[in-house]
Amino acid sequence: MKTEMPLSKPIRHFIKQTETILDTEISLLRNPEADPNGTLVDIYTYNIEKNIIIFPAHYMGLLKDFIIAKHCVNLLIKGAAVKKSHYLVCSFTGDSVYRGIHQIYIDALKDEAKKEKKLPVQKLIQMLNILYTDFNDDINELPWNPITNASVYYRMPKIRKTQLYYLMKEGKMDMDEMMEYEDVIPRRYFVLNKAMFYARDQYLAKTLPADELMPVVNIPQMKKFNHLEVKEMLTTRWTHTSWYQSKVFGDTMLEIMEKYLQKIDWNAEPSIEYFHDIYQIGVHMTNHFISYMSMKDWFVWESPKHLQEAQEKKAEYEFKALKKIFGDLIEESSADSSGG
Amino acid sequence: MTTNEVVGLLKKGRAYASRTKYKEAIVYYEKALSLDPNNPEAWYLRAAAFVETGRNAEALNDCARAIALNQNYADAWSKKGHVLYNLERFEDAVFACTRALALNGNDASAWYIKGVCLDELGRNDEAQEAYGKSLELEIILDMEAEKKKVGK
Repeated sequence: MKTEMPLSKPIRHFIKQTETILDTEISLLRNPEADPNGTLVDIYTYNIEKNIIIFPAHYMGLLKDFIIAKHCVNLLIKGAAVKKSHYLVCSFTGDSVYRGIHQIYIDALKDEAKKEKKLPVQKLIQMLNILYTDFNDDINELPWNPITNASVYYRMPKIRKTQLYYLMKEGKMDMDEMMEYEDVIPRRYFVLNKAMFYARDQYLAKTLPADELMPVVNIPQMKKFNHLEVKEMLTTRWTHTSWYQSKVFGDTMLEIMEKYLQKIDWNAEPSIEYFHDIYQIGVHMTNHFISYMSMKDWFVWESPKHLQEAQEKKAEYEFKALKKIFGDLIEESSADSSGG
Repeated sequence: MTTNEVVGLLKKGRAYASRTKYKEAIVYYEKALSLDPNNPEAWYLRAAAFVETGRNAEALNDCARAIALNQNYADAWSKKGHVLYNLERFEDAVFACTRALALNGNDASAWYIKGVCLDELGRNDEAQEAYGKSLELEIILDMEAEKKKVGK
């Protein structure tokens, strides 16, 4: 690593440790247009010579350090997977896109049957594509998020306050996502999406520990479920709200998360073997989530290259899937405007 | 020499620097300095570009020129702190950052560099305090950036 950027001692040490363990090089890049989560462009995913961690230009101090730490952990997990076995991600094929979109469509029909104001077909088609893509993105990111955060928390105590600020911001953004579509998307998917983030925040609140991350405290719609008695919760009044359902599903997802992550010794000496074990735990946990959400045949474990190629063919896959579901209702133009 | 011409050259240089094209930026700063060598901002901006390209000795010299022309130039003191940190002159960097912060207490970067240098010197409590101030200011900046994004 060669940089003219000031870096705090623990971060400099961690970058160096990451480079040594993986026998690789990391570059840091400040970019005004960068994603607030930062971006890792790594040699295990892309055909490039060195790893680059990109972060927003206004992150100049500890926020920058936190982003770097997080991506170093991600890099260690990916690198260890490549060096010890294979690094795989949840990709998709034409068939798996069809299965996913078809399932969402069936669920949407069930919901639509109960609605007075029906969703226009074009909007429905758009929603099918967007939801499928969202779940693909989330399933590739969410299970790794608590792993990365717990790891940073234990390895870098000096940036815990920064981490907490960052996580509160991230948690709020994730819980706000899809809010405007609450009445549009099938209830099941709204609930599952919120439940995933709920479980992550609950896990981090327990592990870090950070009370400020509790969704039942931060999310207005969930506040009413804090300290609610079981008897009270089981009344029809509560069971009909999607937020109540998110909590119920989320509690189960939290159990899944804890079941896998309790196997990790966060303070263990970092090594290829250690991060490979973490990678495998992450894969098992992801599979359990996929299975719990009944999305088993929606995705395929494949190389990052496969996913990049699949993303290039996404419009074609979506068009074929929609054609299979809707027949002649689907014209070339509707696939173009599907917005997936 | 016209002031407008110098201002224009510095503006062009800054535009290049913001796109991380430091070599091009330096060319414009040098043109500005040839027209007005008593412009502290031109020295400071060239120092900033020099730091980014690893030319720390030249950056230190430019910071000194900027400060000689304006003793109360907070950004130049802050940049001097950064350069001294790069040169591993941690005591001197703490002094420069302290001076920068006396002139502008809201410089998140100066607080951070001060924290990093204090950490290097083993002055942990003072380092934590400086990090704390830096984080507070960074959070404010981050919230403002978020607001701007929502506005867009």
